[in-house]
Amino acid sequence: MPNNSGKVYGLTILSPIINDDRATPSHDLQIRSYLAGLSTGQDSPFALAPGTHLARLVVMDDVVFVGAPAVEEHLNSKYLIFESNCDAGPDGSIDGYLNGLAEHAAEHLDAIWSHCVGYPGAADRAAFIRYMKACQLETTFFFAAINDKSVPETLRALQTQRAVADFIESHQGVEPEKLRAEFLKLVSALDAAPLPTVASAIVSRDIKIGGRNE
Amino acid sequence: MSKLNETDIQGFVLRGYNLPFGRYIFIHFKNPDRAVVLISKLLPMITTGQRWDNGKPPSTVNIAFTHRGLAALALPDATLLSFPVEFQQGMKKRAEILGDTGRNAPERWDAVWHGDEVHAWLGINGLTAEALETCCSQVRALFAETGGAIELAAQDAVSNMVNGQQTGKEHFGYTDGFGNPDYLGIERNSQPGHGKQLPDGSWAPLATGELLLGYADEAGELPIAPIPHILASNGTFMVYRKLHQNVATFRKFLDEQSANYGGGREKLAAKLIGRWRDGTPLELAPDAPDQSIVKDPTRNTNFTYGADGAGTRCPIGAHMRRAHPRDAFGFNGKLIDRRRITRRGQTYGRFVPEGESASDAEDRGVVFMVLNANISRQFEFVQQQWIEYGNDAKQGNDKDPLIGNHGGHGKFVVQGDRSASNPPLICGHLPNFVELRGGDYFFIPSITALGMIAMKLVDPR
Repeated sequence: MPNNSGKVYGLTILSPIINDDRATPSHDLQIRSYLAGLSTGQDSPFALAPGTHLARLVVMDDVVFVGAPAVEEHLNSKYLIFESNCDAGPDGSIDGYLNGLAEHAAEHLDAIWSHCVGYPGAADRAAFIRYMKACQLETTFFFAAINDKSVPETLRALQTQRAVADFIESHQGVEPEKLRAEFLKLVSALDAAPLPTVASAIVSRDIKIGGRNE
Repeated sequence: MSKLNETDIQGFVLRGYNLPFGRYIFIHFKNPDRAVVLISKLLPMITTGQRWDNGKPPSTVNIAFTHRGLAALALPDATLLSFPVEFQQGMKKRAEILGDTGRNAPERWDAVWHGDEVHAWLGINGLTAEALETCCSQVRALFAETGGAIELAAQDAVSNMVNGQQTGKEHFGYTDGFGNPDYLGIERNSQPGHGKQLPDGSWAPLATGELLLGYADEAGELPIAPIPHILASNGTFMVYRKLHQNVATFRKFLDEQSANYGGGREKLAAKLIGRWRDGTPLELAPDAPDQSIVKDPTRNTNFTYGADGAGTRCPIGAHMRRAHPRDAFGFNGKLIDRRRITRRGQTYGRFVPEGESASDAEDRGVVFMVLNANISRQFEFVQQQWIEYGNDAKQGNDKDPLIGNHGGHGKFVVQGDRSASNPPLICGHLPNFVELRGGDYFFIPSITALGMIAMKLVDPR
């Protein structure tokens, strides 16, 4: 089960992009243009649909020629690459995740994948899942810089970790009776607290990240 | 590899002089023709890496340039554009990626950094205050004589002394200056823990190209360097940072937090950094300082964190464990071999021993200078990922407790065990113990390169 790591699934999908000389602009450019405007916040399709830890959509034009003495090679098609670390179903399958995407983000999926060969549309749920799985590559080496718990479990754990750290910090040295009472209060507050929504739990960092340094 | 040509490398690059008096003079070139005359006259005074078989000289002189400085010397555009991007930009433009924001933001730096006027750094050190003054007078006379430069500002530095003796301590009271990396080909009193760790646990020097341009680095590649090759070779890049220390805030923090901490005040101070204030590594002596370890070069840097994964000896977020994680991320430390930096530093301002009252407003701190072949890959990575962030150390958003830019919101976890003298502690609302007061990125050329600059022979073709 190399696609699975605990409750997390390593999904890679390669969909060939339609090559049509008459299309203006070409289908790959239309995908690029749509992706460039796609939200990375709470309106992202991956925030609207459940179960995504990290996802990436990339247009791959061709393999890169690295210079002689390498053999010059080319792909038969341009591809849309979809990579996602997502939650697997209880049976370890990806069907539920794909179904969720189709249910919550059909408009985005259709806008993107309609430029790909053979895409049936998200409305026909069974055909959609069959198509995505037909384009799937087996994950042969799963490396996750995250743990192997589900998205809700991870969000809950982060919420709890922060709350408990703050609690300890502000209650060090408090006498046992009071500490117990306050801790029980914290526990029931945490039990009652709603699950943080995806993409809202991000703590803002006063540092510019990404690029070559991360 | 064969021995390096020490006569071609500036001495400051190869060794920490450990001379008690220092002055860093920042200059501006008005006219390239007069400036190169100044450089040619300074050249014979520049201290090289040659060994001091007859003891330390009374004073030393070294020189380094900002990218704007090299442009002011009218180096060819093809050369100027071949320098790494971060060096061309300078430290101020990199503020956001370094986390130099808020209390550390460039608007709050010393006046000399407000414009983009600094063209060169002259580092002068003296065995005595008199020797320093004599040397500075000679250098300043050359400014006047050649008309090659105007002095913008000077930063004095002096090692902290008690009764006329160098203490080796910085202002928070920590004994400093234990572990700089070893590099292939550089003659130095090597000791275990200074280089990189090999799979069998022994220590070996890092590749020369992690410090000097023109040599293979740890990836077997030549560091990104300007053209022509001879301009870059035997040179390196320096990061200059003036770090103000809020000594009163630091002591108040220790007082307040140690009131709730079973380990006591001194142990808390040790947990922040990873060494007791006398220099004893916590990994080797978690319960009490031990001068016999500090004085023993086969032991004082000879430790790893692999057996202390929980951080009960040295906290996982301690300053030293962050800045140089050794084997803390596994793989025998292989992941950190391209993130090592060589540090030069000297304190400035009056030393206030514990027990005497200190104020944050008083001007004191450390002039912190980093030497590395690739500022982006080495210094900037360490600063961004290991000092101002905690993910690699599994400490979430926590920053380096001692030098992190906390802005009053910092958190530091002291991992502990069940013993009364080593309990866990969570310190919250951390203030800035250290604040950045300015600095920039500099290129330290070889003696050959200085000569080429002085003779206007830099030719990228």
